[in-house]
Amino acid sequence: MRSFTRRKSLAITATAMVASLALVGCSAADDSSDAAASTELVVGLLASPASLDYSTTGGAAIPQALLYNVYEGLVKIDNAGDIQPLLAESYTVSDDGLVYTFLLHEGVTFSNGSPFTAESVKFSLERVADNWTANGPSYLDPISSVDVVSDTEVTITLSAPSNSWLFNMAGPVGTMFSPDGIDDLATDPVGTGPYDVSEFTSGTSLELTERDDYWGEAPFMSDVTFNYYADATAQTNALLGGDIDLISALTAYQLIGQFESDDDFAVYEGTSTGETTMTLNNQSDAFSDVRVRQAVMYAVDRQAVLDTVNSGYGSLIGSMVPPTDPWFDDSLVDLYPYDPAKAEALLAEAGVSDLTVSMKLPNLPYAVDAGQVVKDQLSQVGITADVTTLEFPAVWLDEVFTNHDYDISIIAHTEPRDISAFAAPTYYAGYDNPEVMALFAEADASDEATFVELMKEASATMAEEAAADWLFLNPNVTAADADLTGVPLNAPTLSFDLTTIAR
Amino acid sequence: MLLTIARRIGIFAATLVAASIITFLMLSILPGNAARVALGIEATEAQVAAQEQLMGLDRPLYVQFFDWFGHLLIGDFGTSTVSGQEIGPQIGDALAITGVLVISSVILALLFAIPMGILSAVRQNKADGVIISGISQIGISIPGFLFGILLVALFAVKLKWLPAGGWDDPGDDFVGFLEHLILPAIALGSVQGAVLSRYVRSSVLEVMREDFLRTARAKGLTPNRALMRHGLRNAAIPVMTVLGLQIASLLIGAVVIERVFAIPGLGSLLLDKVALRDLPSIQGIVMVLVALVLLLNLLIDIAYTIVDPRLRSAS
Repeated sequence: MRSFTRRKSLAITATAMVASLALVGCSAADDSSDAAASTELVVGLLASPASLDYSTTGGAAIPQALLYNVYEGLVKIDNAGDIQPLLAESYTVSDDGLVYTFLLHEGVTFSNGSPFTAESVKFSLERVADNWTANGPSYLDPISSVDVVSDTEVTITLSAPSNSWLFNMAGPVGTMFSPDGIDDLATDPVGTGPYDVSEFTSGTSLELTERDDYWGEAPFMSDVTFNYYADATAQTNALLGGDIDLISALTAYQLIGQFESDDDFAVYEGTSTGETTMTLNNQSDAFSDVRVRQAVMYAVDRQAVLDTVNSGYGSLIGSMVPPTDPWFDDSLVDLYPYDPAKAEALLAEAGVSDLTVSMKLPNLPYAVDAGQVVKDQLSQVGITADVTTLEFPAVWLDEVFTNHDYDISIIAHTEPRDISAFAAPTYYAGYDNPEVMALFAEADASDEATFVELMKEASATMAEEAAADWLFLNPNVTAADADLTGVPLNAPTLSFDLTTIAR
Repeated sequence: MLLTIARRIGIFAATLVAASIITFLMLSILPGNAARVALGIEATEAQVAAQEQLMGLDRPLYVQFFDWFGHLLIGDFGTSTVSGQEIGPQIGDALAITGVLVISSVILALLFAIPMGILSAVRQNKADGVIISGISQIGISIPGFLFGILLVALFAVKLKWLPAGGWDDPGDDFVGFLEHLILPAIALGSVQGAVLSRYVRSSVLEVMREDFLRTARAKGLTPNRALMRHGLRNAAIPVMTVLGLQIASLLIGAVVIERVFAIPGLGSLLLDKVALRDLPSIQGIVMVLVALVLLLNLLIDIAYTIVDPRLRSAS
């Protein structure tokens, strides 16, 4: 297994730093013409935003580009995954966990010039319930009232204590908007962040320009362009050819070697929240019996899948919890060791023979690759998988996600802390265990220690009942010009945070 | 004459309307819900229903169609249900890019095809003529997108002479514009150039056997001069027909080439919008493509009459 320890990444970071120091040495001797160019950054990404409004458009692409760069909330998740104040200078929580008091930074303005005050907080949070359709408006359900104390102080009262609430406030749903800046959210976002959108060509590129009236510390890069590519090869070629400076969330793992062997580039391997999941339709005839689902778990050699699909990059997780969440339980990784004999025994016990299942895969390279390996492994224990490839997103969402017309599917779940959503009986996995749902609810309202314990219990139960086969966790791989520093190592949220990147 | 023009315009309009209805029906049969696509896997069914209302997808299909069609009649392409952007300007920007790409590739194709085709015809039994024929045969066999990928691997990744993809506005950076144009134009034009050179070759060969060419030679012209003065004009007619058809196929070929080179043209826009099930945008783009192909056919018809005076008197 290729582990994503920090050691390797640190070595690369150190190399990058040495390289950049050498470069600084050179440019000091050079004329200053390079200095102007060096604050421009071009980032190559895959999925492009359909619009710039994440209140009505889902997917990772919009928060990836805008969250913490153009938009800000009261708090943010730092690269280590911890909650930090952002627009709030500081905050306190009452002993009963119900009242949050935020003291806001002074002198903050939106990119349209309007001031950011406690009124903006009230406006932004209160408009979520009626105006947001995407990115989890229900995350703010715990709020019972938002009260303006002064321009720079606001108290938020919850109807019940919630451990996930503040975490979610650091995501898209906690974004602060200006009442006079929401007319054209799809094309002209108005936020308090260090950058403003200067040009958006749908499907192709998004350009951000540094704001000169930003309240906080100015970012190093003055102009950032996100270029979107239809496939990973075009993206990789663009970096190799020098068109772009950095690839975030690189998925062409077989191409990483090209960058690792070239001194002009640095490769960073951190953690993400993307669990590549083989979902078993718990409501289908094939998989309503827990023993059949467990048989699949024993029949699949996850390490082999990881080696084939991701060239070994990533890690086995055994549950829908990445190791960066406090309730990760590494004993679940080996809950179902590869054991075809045991799989056959379980199938016999369930009275199942000559099982044929429909495997409906989104037409995404990793899903199709993983499907091939799994199909082969399942055939070893007498399960025949009929593979169909569906256009992603439209047809897959329709057939698999909405109509639940499938037995097996494979897709990466990239949202942070998405395990409780996955456990909902109406969700496409059709996993139905009221006790687990009760555990999640109880966990959310508990103190921190109990929260972690209960989350552990719920995730373990889901693994034991084989709600799905969490094949592996994707790493967050970044390939960049070697002279860049401050490249975010991990992807604890959907945001690609530009504020630390320098050259 | 007037009647002919009126009939042509009538056919033009009827084809557009038919195409718009067919596209609309096809897309409504196609599985996939734009609201669900927009919200992704985190949203609940209730949120999707709210989104449908927001996008106007909860209205009956014919209402959606006539709403769109009515606006189109006054030259308004409407706004995208997904991105909220005005569709007209988006198509305009993308069309300008695809137009430049297609025209450049046609010019490249002609620059290759005419001299090579004539040369391989004139020297049909000599080694160089055979080699040229062979090259064009290879050109026909290699799909444009594959040629594009090979060009990128060599000139962008290996040699780093040209960018691997993307686009620069000529107004912003003209040199950058040319750099970004070269590889995709070659990739798109390669097959067409090869096909055209075959047509030029056979057309010239045919003309060379004609009586009038022999007469011209009898008047004392050298073979080459006879071909230049009398042969090429006649050889041009079948070539033009092919060229007209090819430009139409180039518009479609551009869809793939734009993808390979990450160029924000009409093809990229169309594929993105289909993926999003953004109905009004798809409709708008298809309308523009259909109109362009029809317009091209019309222009080719007119061009015939300029090249060939016989067709003029006949009509």
